[in-house]
Amino acid sequence: MKQNMDKAMRLKLIISALLFLLLSLDAGQSLARSPWQWNLALKQTKIRDAMVMPTALFIDREKGHYYVVDSGKNRLLSFDRTGKLLHILTAGKALDIPFDMVRTGDGGLWVVEKGKNSLSYIDLKARKVTPHTLYYNGELIFPDRIEYVQGILYVLDKASGDIISYDMSLRPIGRFSCGKCPGGFVDFKLYGNSIWALDLLQKMIYVFDPKGDINKTIPLGKEVSFPVSVAVGPSGYIYILDRHQGTVAVYDRNGGFKYHFLSAGIAQGQLYFPIEIRFDPWGRLCVVDEGNGRVEVFSR
Amino acid sequence: MKRKWLGTFLSSFVVIMLMLMPPAQAGNVCFKCHKRANFKARVVHKPVSDGRCDVCHSPHVAKYKGLLREQTAALCYSCHRREAALFRKGVVHEPVYQGKCLSCHVPHASDQKGLIKKTLADDCFGCHKGMPRKFKHTHKPYSQGRCIVCHRPHHGDNQQLLTKGPDALCRSCHGEAALKRVHRDYPVPIGGCLSCHNPHGSNRRALIRNVLHSPYKKGCSGCHKGKSGIVTTEVCFGCHGPVKKEMLRTHSHLTSRTGNSCMNCHFPHTGDAKTLLRGNQGQICRTCHQGTFERYKESPSRHPDIDHCTSCHEPHGSRHLAMLKGNGNDVCIRCHEDQGKFTHPVGPNVLDPRTGQMVTCSTCHNPMGTRFKYQLIRDGKKDLCILCHQAY
Repeated sequence: MKQNMDKAMRLKLIISALLFLLLSLDAGQSLARSPWQWNLALKQTKIRDAMVMPTALFIDREKGHYYVVDSGKNRLLSFDRTGKLLHILTAGKALDIPFDMVRTGDGGLWVVEKGKNSLSYIDLKARKVTPHTLYYNGELIFPDRIEYVQGILYVLDKASGDIISYDMSLRPIGRFSCGKCPGGFVDFKLYGNSIWALDLLQKMIYVFDPKGDINKTIPLGKEVSFPVSVAVGPSGYIYILDRHQGTVAVYDRNGGFKYHFLSAGIAQGQLYFPIEIRFDPWGRLCVVDEGNGRVEVFSR
Repeated sequence: MKRKWLGTFLSSFVVIMLMLMPPAQAGNVCFKCHKRANFKARVVHKPVSDGRCDVCHSPHVAKYKGLLREQTAALCYSCHRREAALFRKGVVHEPVYQGKCLSCHVPHASDQKGLIKKTLADDCFGCHKGMPRKFKHTHKPYSQGRCIVCHRPHHGDNQQLLTKGPDALCRSCHGEAALKRVHRDYPVPIGGCLSCHNPHGSNRRALIRNVLHSPYKKGCSGCHKGKSGIVTTEVCFGCHGPVKKEMLRTHSHLTSRTGNSCMNCHFPHTGDAKTLLRGNQGQICRTCHQGTFERYKESPSRHPDIDHCTSCHEPHGSRHLAMLKGNGNDVCIRCHEDQGKFTHPVGPNVLDPRTGQMVTCSTCHNPMGTRFKYQLIRDGKKDLCILCHQAY
């Protein structure tokens, strides 16, 4: 009798241990799937002043400031690293659907203004906004996304889906094209000496060298439904923002899918029609959440 | 001992033979009540001709209408396994996707090849009711009801389920010499046939589409300028100024690798209607937004009549999310008038405390489809409300 009881006890113990092991394994896997945790949100504290359809984020490494483009209210907002609002720039109500921006070495701001189809320069000291219409070999360019590095402005032309580089006098230098892809690029980021460009329709990443040659392509497969933005992490991992699913898909350097994280919704840490993803210089992942009027910042 | 072995052998033989023998008797029994004549035609489905009614029907009780053993598609695919795998690939014809094999086929016998229900054309026009049976000038295969000369009935690699690319398809009947003869002064290589011709029929000779783009009426030089003759989006904007304004909004369809965004959706020369659209809206939008249509199709609760995307969405550009025609209220209350007056507070003065964004119909509903009744984003009994009203 006693022997039987001992056996039953032992069996129970083994089952409990196995269950515990299974559960802890699962929990471990969940953590391994997404090491990202919500850190802060860049948004207006007074809800009446909330951003409407923010579309882009620029980070000033030297100043440690975030700049958010509030396309719905035609303004630019700056925040410090803790998410505290610093300034609101309306440029005397001169901005017409600002969409993206960069800050250049001279302290001025280059802003894509959709409403004017212009790449406008804002001279902060002179308080002056100068619109510029861009061309490439006589062809009118429709600026969409913009990046800046070492005296070169890289502009995504929405009409052709090509990336065009300009010097500071807005003279075209080069063109980065995916060739026969049907829709062209919808976003790009500069990473090291390469340009990483996202093709939405083909769900493909194109990596260009500075000369404009395609170094490699990375298919994203069925892990994404409507990819709108790309970012490359400090470790070389690729982060793809899916606007319709409200998720981020993560791939390793070779394009192997690793995991998804985040979900669609309104609550903190959820996304509703997100539009841009970007790493800040401090390793945090920032998602411009257009539908929720904020920028969500995640850290590991 | 020998007798015992013989007995075992004989009984095993009888059992095996009984197992191997087709139960033709099943059919014979059925036909005692069900008139055999009703199951006779030029083409008879194999199980029927074999008298194997029990392949599809359960003789006593069944879960499904007609004493079927399974739902229609599952039943068909239990034999037609190759098709089951094949019909999941590419663009799938809607009745096939829905497993409605009997939309076009009959299960027992038909005078048509492939157990087609009536004639092929009758089957097609049974769903495609908006299409005229006849035009003033009708393409021969269309007038003969031979839709499958150009279209695949089950699945394909393009939205129109064409058997080949449009130009290649035209050339499979219309030889090069004949094409050159009728396009004598054509300034560029002959191609893009559907840009001018309606493959089904038209009021115009040579199946030229009914509506001509006004500059095309006058000639080519109105749009094709310079050495290259390439017509950019800017050229279109030259006449269609308001469209340019729409395209210069936060979100737009200003996108094309061919250099002209307008051509994504519009024909440049002729069209079947004033809009010169390349097809019906559903077809056009699906070419890029396939995933959206699939999610919609798979959603248990969804807004009806989705093929008219422009009822709610701006086709050119918008300052609203999802390229809506207005904010998440304006679009809905044009039809849902009562809900615009008596509903949960919505509008510019009602802000979501979590985000500061305006509370609209789309805060709670997603007309493109959800799992929940009324296209609610959560279960309307409680889960939805406590997203905001947590204290309750």
